[in-house]
Amino acid sequence: MRRLAFALAGLLALAAPALAQTTLTLYTSQPQQDAQQTVDAFMAKHPDVKVTWLRDGTTQILAKLRAEVAAGDPRPDLLLLADVVTFEGLKKQGLLLPHPAADVAAYDKSLHDPEKTYFSTKLITTGIAYNAKAGTKPASWSDLVKPEFKGQVSMPSPLTSGAALIHLAALTEKPEFGWAFFEKLAQNNVRPQGGNGQVLKAVAGGEKLYGVIVDYMPIREKAKGAPVDFAFPAEGVTAVTEPVAVMKTSKNPDAAKRFVDFLLSREGQELASRQGYLPMHPDVAPPAGFPRVSDIKIMAYDPARALAEEETLKKRFAEIFGE
Amino acid sequence: LEATPIELGGSRDGPVGLRRSTIGRLPWGEALKLEHVLLAVISLFLLAVCVWPLTRLLLEGVAPNGTFDLSRAAEVLSSRSTWTATRRSLEASLVGALGALALGGLFAFLIALTDLRAKSALVFCFMIPMLIPPQVTALAWVQLLGPSSPLLLALGIQPPPGSANPLYSAGGVMGLLAIQHAPLAFLVLRASFRALPRELIEAARAAGSRPLGVARSIAAPLVAPALVAALALAFVSALGNFGIPAVLGIPASYTVLPILIYRRLASFGPSVIADVAVLSLIVAFIGIAVVLAQTAAARRFEARMPRRPGAALALPLGPARLAIEIAAWGVILLVLVLPLTALVAGALVSAYGVPLSPATATLANFEEVLLRQDATRRAFVNSAMLSGAAALLLAALAIPMGYFVVWRRSAPARALETLADIPYALPGVVLAIAMILVFLKPLPIVGISLYGTLWIIFAAYLGRFFALALRPVIAGFRAIDPTIEEAAQVAGARFGTRLRTVTAPLLAPVAAAGAILVFVTAFNELTVSALLWSAGHETLGVIMFNLDDSGFAPLASAVAVVSVAVILVLMLTAQLLARHLPPGVLPWAGERG
Repeated sequence: MRRLAFALAGLLALAAPALAQTTLTLYTSQPQQDAQQTVDAFMAKHPDVKVTWLRDGTTQILAKLRAEVAAGDPRPDLLLLADVVTFEGLKKQGLLLPHPAADVAAYDKSLHDPEKTYFSTKLITTGIAYNAKAGTKPASWSDLVKPEFKGQVSMPSPLTSGAALIHLAALTEKPEFGWAFFEKLAQNNVRPQGGNGQVLKAVAGGEKLYGVIVDYMPIREKAKGAPVDFAFPAEGVTAVTEPVAVMKTSKNPDAAKRFVDFLLSREGQELASRQGYLPMHPDVAPPAGFPRVSDIKIMAYDPARALAEEETLKKRFAEIFGE
Repeated sequence: LEATPIELGGSRDGPVGLRRSTIGRLPWGEALKLEHVLLAVISLFLLAVCVWPLTRLLLEGVAPNGTFDLSRAAEVLSSRSTWTATRRSLEASLVGALGALALGGLFAFLIALTDLRAKSALVFCFMIPMLIPPQVTALAWVQLLGPSSPLLLALGIQPPPGSANPLYSAGGVMGLLAIQHAPLAFLVLRASFRALPRELIEAARAAGSRPLGVARSIAAPLVAPALVAALALAFVSALGNFGIPAVLGIPASYTVLPILIYRRLASFGPSVIADVAVLSLIVAFIGIAVVLAQTAAARRFEARMPRRPGAALALPLGPARLAIEIAAWGVILLVLVLPLTALVAGALVSAYGVPLSPATATLANFEEVLLRQDATRRAFVNSAMLSGAAALLLAALAIPMGYFVVWRRSAPARALETLADIPYALPGVVLAIAMILVFLKPLPIVGISLYGTLWIIFAAYLGRFFALALRPVIAGFRAIDPTIEEAAQVAGARFGTRLRTVTAPLLAPVAAAGAILVFVTAFNELTVSALLWSAGHETLGVIMFNLDDSGFAPLASAVAVVSVAVILVLMLTAQLLARHLPPGVLPWAGERG
């Protein structure tokens, strides 16, 4: 039956290319609105491809994917998730399909997997959001553990957010922060709650005055009139690059690769910038409200260690914050 | 296990002797066949959607990876967080259920037994919180009481910036659980108050009994089973509630068991399925214990109400009536109007935290969720289809099931009834895991996997909400004297004919009430689908939770407003049809005045 359906689909594809629809499934941690816009923009350019998508936190998506892989039936053709570490893990498990023809000539070599299994699509930094009514503007990460910030700081949990996991990995690696910094945060009544969206809600709603959060959320909400702003702390910000990859099990790898090409194209990068993300492409201007990429100080971290110690990092974090 | 005709046909109050003498003339052969087929269908149904998944889950708890191993269970049971969450689940559900009982009982008393005016409108408004998804209730209240509350800002009494929302606390969780489940308690108690035999009470009053004496010696024994049932129902619902502790408890680090299970599983993936299986077994034990205690209590109290009670009592409130009416509407204002106003305000602003004013008001959020995002529109359709189909099928199954349980007192059916309660007592997260365990691999014979389709959600709904459809029907059978069916039997009507022409029409109102309960609960449901949804197969609850979770509170509020509007329209449409329906079909209708 399925073979017959494929044969029919093949015939249709030959006879009337405009009618034939290839279906792709995308699992992403992008917010709904952005996921819909990205998919719409791609489908407008490739009307023969229909993309359905599913959005959840990176950790939740991985849990779902692991269950599907264990059952021998992974559903997605494409993954668009928060961080490189996640994709390193998936690559090690042999789940990703290389896309050697992807055009990454314009990009910094260090941004993409040399074996071309996953590709960074944008820069998402983690800094500090603050409510317009907050007395002091935060200038440094160490502000968050000061007594006057006690009970006023909101933070995403690495148990939900991929960006928060990288933030944890990067800061615990630095001798000036380490686990002691997170213990001090816990003593300062910081209670990590869910993902970045929850932090935005707490800060914009005025329930907390400060929040550790990804850049685009407060910057975009500020443009819409919300009483929030975003600060790049002096020590630097941590960053994820929201890579995209094709699953090895994809039934339509060619269409899936076109999706990757679209995100890496100038057009795709301009879309990201319009959505309020820092684009990776050096020639595409960043959105309003952001400094120039060259002015942003990014804290480096060791992805290999983050991957190896992911479980330990999460467990220790959960212990400290009593989750 | 062969049932004898006496066991099948005899009811405690029924004319067993008469029946025995007529056995020879009845077409037992055929009747037994149809009955056995029906019972077998119900058994198979419960096997597929309840016994099999939960057994699989139980096995996962004691024998992860297929070998007997209690070390995981021991590890979970010795963890402090397990017992903290258990204690919190117990206290939150108990306080929430007691609150629901007090609020629901008070309204049930006023509506069923007094001469309060405008009862229809009052009941209609009082029932609405039950139909609003818990996560929406929580979202609305958070917007109502936070430092950026549009309402408090307008009144100039908003808390200073940086003050925590008072709802993010144990008290917030308990309070909203009470409001959410008060209509459930109300439904159970109103039916019981209404059925109080007016003749008996009037006779006692005429004979000189004081009101308190009547309440103690006549009303209390008759209402006691309903009180226990209402408390148990509210407790078990609160125990499994996910939306309220998810929205209010997580920020306050007030973690109840369903949230602990959800977070562990969502964060650590299927590798911790053995751990969460153990956690879910704790909830299962609590739920089953409550259900068993309630059943035992009901049996002790069992007292049959007259089949057709006369007109309900109408105690005159006298000069206090106006004050009581104002107070009752004040409660409606507080639990319904204010939070919904905050929700609408939250859906009209451009961004969360922006105060609502003519300059900031926008319909962009509605445009986005209704016109631009396919996922939201799809979710409305999916939720309507899933809950509608589940409601019809379960109500249809509930009638024969209730018949076997109450009128036939069939032992296998009673065992099935207890089974049917289990998936409802468990938090939806648990049933979802059980469903994943059994339906992830392709089904035998057909070779299709239900995972990643709407069918797995449908299967979970069928298992989870059968108890909701069954309870009113069981209560209905208990309240109706079986002699009418026995008369039809004596007159020679076969089982199928009796079921179609006597039993089903008599029970249609309660079955419809059950179907409506299933529909509104499933339409709002989040717990089960939170783990079972897949691309293209979102439910309304999932979409709303996800929007809120990713920081789009205004979009989530817009979806919530539209879904509440849909529910209100449905309720009002049904209200218009109410005069053509038997009384009792619509929980929120059928009031005089």
